[in-house]
Amino acid sequence: MNAWTMLLATDAPALPSGWVMQMGLQLSWSVVLAWLGALLVRRWTVNKPVQAGVALTLAAWAWLPGAYSASYWLGLAFQTPSVTAVLVCAALLRDQWVRPSQRLLHGAPAGLAWALAVLGTILGWALLLDTLALLPLQWYAWGFSPAASVLVMLVALLPWVWFRVAPGGAVVPWLVPVAVVVFVTLRLPSGNVWDAVLDPWLWLVMQGGLLRRLYICYKLRSLKRNKSAV
Amino acid sequence: MLLPHIFSSLYGRLLCAVLASGVILGLDLWRREASPPPAHAVWPVLAGAQKTAPLQLLDSGNIPMPSGMAAAHASTLLALPLSHPAALMAFWFSGDRESAPNVQIAASQWDRASQQWSAASYVVNRQVFGSQMGFGLRRLGNPVAWLDGSGRVHLFVVATGWGGWAASRILHLRQISSANSVQELVFEPVRVLPLSWLWNTSILVRNAPLPLDDGGMVLPVHFELGIKYPIALRFDKEGTFQGVVRMSARPYLLQPTLLMQSTQEWLALMRDDRPNGKVGVARTVDGGLHWADLPDLALDNPDAAVAGFNLAPGRMLLVHNSSIATRATLDLSQSMDGRNWPLVRTLEQGAGEDEFSYPAMAWADGELWVSYTVDRHRIAWQRFALGTAPAGVTP
Repeated sequence: MNAWTMLLATDAPALPSGWVMQMGLQLSWSVVLAWLGALLVRRWTVNKPVQAGVALTLAAWAWLPGAYSASYWLGLAFQTPSVTAVLVCAALLRDQWVRPSQRLLHGAPAGLAWALAVLGTILGWALLLDTLALLPLQWYAWGFSPAASVLVMLVALLPWVWFRVAPGGAVVPWLVPVAVVVFVTLRLPSGNVWDAVLDPWLWLVMQGGLLRRLYICYKLRSLKRNKSAV
Repeated sequence: MLLPHIFSSLYGRLLCAVLASGVILGLDLWRREASPPPAHAVWPVLAGAQKTAPLQLLDSGNIPMPSGMAAAHASTLLALPLSHPAALMAFWFSGDRESAPNVQIAASQWDRASQQWSAASYVVNRQVFGSQMGFGLRRLGNPVAWLDGSGRVHLFVVATGWGGWAASRILHLRQISSANSVQELVFEPVRVLPLSWLWNTSILVRNAPLPLDDGGMVLPVHFELGIKYPIALRFDKEGTFQGVVRMSARPYLLQPTLLMQSTQEWLALMRDDRPNGKVGVARTVDGGLHWADLPDLALDNPDAAVAGFNLAPGRMLLVHNSSIATRATLDLSQSMDGRNWPLVRTLEQGAGEDEFSYPAMAWADGELWVSYTVDRHRIAWQRFALGTAPAGVTP
């Protein structure tokens, strides 16, 4: 077998072990729930201990045994969120409490977040169309190959290469590279790199963000046109 | 002092990115096994005069059902080695009704000494395995059984997420008990097979795997969220997942059953979801790496499962519902070339709303076994022996 064949091979996937999958499921939903709780409660109170209490309670809920656990029901419906989604939630939680002056996108080069959102949206569409067998390529199956992990890592590092993001600056450029490192180390969540970097919920959020930005751009352009007409 | 200098240069950062990707590649390859050799299916054991001998019905009956359960469906048969006290095991799902919360996977075995089916036992409970894996299984459905290279039974079971059958996943279970009887059969969850990006949903299993000469197998499954298409999964002799290949570009074929024409040339015969459908066909000539659609067979298919079985080289069997609109007729046909399927015998002939469906076949102790669902209430079986072929007659 030559090196190229080995790189593209999808017939020797390395899958996570059972206990790693279970830990990954509970930890992932724990982080996501904590962020969702913190996000919701922030609308009702500025009391930090209350916010933290709600977030911690929801995080702990994911670790209860069996059907008492939130992750039991969320896993039933959605399996395990992507590593990227978990890292995004963790970064948002950090922004809220540890570095409240900063935000996820603070310090990121202009347009970087949107470039990532466009890439993620395209990738999600490719995976969805592949799921429905509407592509000639078997895109999801290719996510079991070593080449897919390397390609994702290379593409994910391009923003750092191009924009020279300073250490300690924006978190966004590092989310996908860290997700790939977690993936190759633990194979979470499923042994397929696409599941590690993008899940359908994250994809929907990205699309929502893109559509919102497009709408704002359209409105601003309309305003400018109206002003110049006056 | 060197790092900041490297990081300040575009080419330096590019070099770092390539090196980091190289490290990722190294880590990734370190975690993997080598790619498996090309897949070669195992020829059936029959040879010589047996290849042409006619099938003669020996006996038939019903497999005992779990007490008090009104529904039974989707049986699968597993032939057992001669060292086992039972010749074969049957697994199916049973409960108050199809898709009821209390549906479990039931099992029974044909005891070699008593020539009887054992009382049915439940071997898979969704709450138990949901708790073990940390996430829920809403309902259980079709089971498919396989014996690995170490003699352990593996079960692949349809388990739904949030929704109906279209929200199904395939739960892979592996025997951990050393006991021989179904009453003592204990499984552990291996995983839910990772087959789709869309919350890993809408992949179902129905038909038996095709055994490979390396001790592994190819498991036919299908996708059915809106459109339908068949998929082949490969496993090694320990039951380790080794990849997935889509088998057809047609969006209405499901529940493939695999038949071999040579060690690397296989056919997949499939249920057709369309009205007035025919049995669909796809073929591979490279051991499942690539598949191509073939024209439909002449056999009608009332959107019903079919089961194929290789009895001998050049002698394939197919159990199928042969009427266009109902599942009231269940036929056994055979073929030498995979295209022409003359009728061997009608296994069941009902009327109106009668249903004989979801057939399965196995070869055990020199006999052909067929099981199927009757009216979604019970599992029936028939057993055939090979008779003496009349002189000059080919099947």
